[in-house]
Amino acid sequence: MVLFRVLFIAFVVLSIIYLSLSLYSRARARDRLESEWHEGDYDIPLEAYVRAGLVKYDQSLRRKLILGVYIVPMSLVCLIIYLVNFA
Amino acid sequence: MRFIGWTLLIVFWVSLGSFLHYTLPHRDIVRIVNTYEERQELGDWTRLFWARPDEQSSTLISRDVQFIQGVRVNGKPTVYRNEDTGWSWPPYFKFDTANLYTEANDAVSTRADPEWYLVTHYGWRNEFFSSFPNAISIRPIAGPDASKGLPWVNMIVLSVLAAVFYGIWVRWRRFRRARIDPRLEEWQDKWEAAGDAAQQRRGRVRRWLDSWK
Repeated sequence: MVLFRVLFIAFVVLSIIYLSLSLYSRARARDRLESEWHEGDYDIPLEAYVRAGLVKYDQSLRRKLILGVYIVPMSLVCLIIYLVNFA
Repeated sequence: MRFIGWTLLIVFWVSLGSFLHYTLPHRDIVRIVNTYEERQELGDWTRLFWARPDEQSSTLISRDVQFIQGVRVNGKPTVYRNEDTGWSWPPYFKFDTANLYTEANDAVSTRADPEWYLVTHYGWRNEFFSSFPNAISIRPIAGPDASKGLPWVNMIVLSVLAAVFYGIWVRWRRFRRARIDPRLEEWQDKWEAAGDAAQQRRGRVRRWLDSWK
């Protein structure tokens, strides 16, 4: 069925975008933590500081917002379907 | 080289412009006159002007298509096809063709007692290729001079597209300034140095030849 093919392609494309975005965002978070450590005066070693920061990042809202990569297009499609066919 | 660059640039923007003009929704104020169905041959390249409402339709070489005939405010005729776009391109996700056909039949009015409707559609009417715009929705409006409303969809899509292109352009310029321009200058310097050296050598050979005179 066409619907399943479209869903499958959309899922693959969006997953690629999601993966790249989350890797990029995590790398940015790591860079930010490292420069923070270099600028500040911390007792703990760099490794530990970055690891603790990344644990916090993993629970942050910013990371969950990347799920919008799936949610926004899907909601947009639903909105268009409603507006075109039922409004 | 410059000529090729300009040609490519113009071809790109004209294609993008026509693609958007074909795909984005437009609105007409029309009086709906009649509806009909006609068998359409889909065997040649004009296939791209017809929708693919479902999977089996992509292998068919002919099928029945519904049409909606209208007359615009200026008296000119417009004919819309009425086809599902389904899950395929362009992404209107139109599945209510039969409902729209019913609405259109209900909206028929005469010239003596006109009722005006706003028809949202995409696509082009071309008499030579027998292409028709696809009607997306119809709704009654006050009269022939009523406002068509703001084209929200076009505004949003075009703004997003402009933002994307601007983003790509800015990054490309930055990349070019940082990576490509210095390399090109390096090449140019080397090329000119090589040219100077060759000229000097030729000058020496010439002087030696001249000494034989």
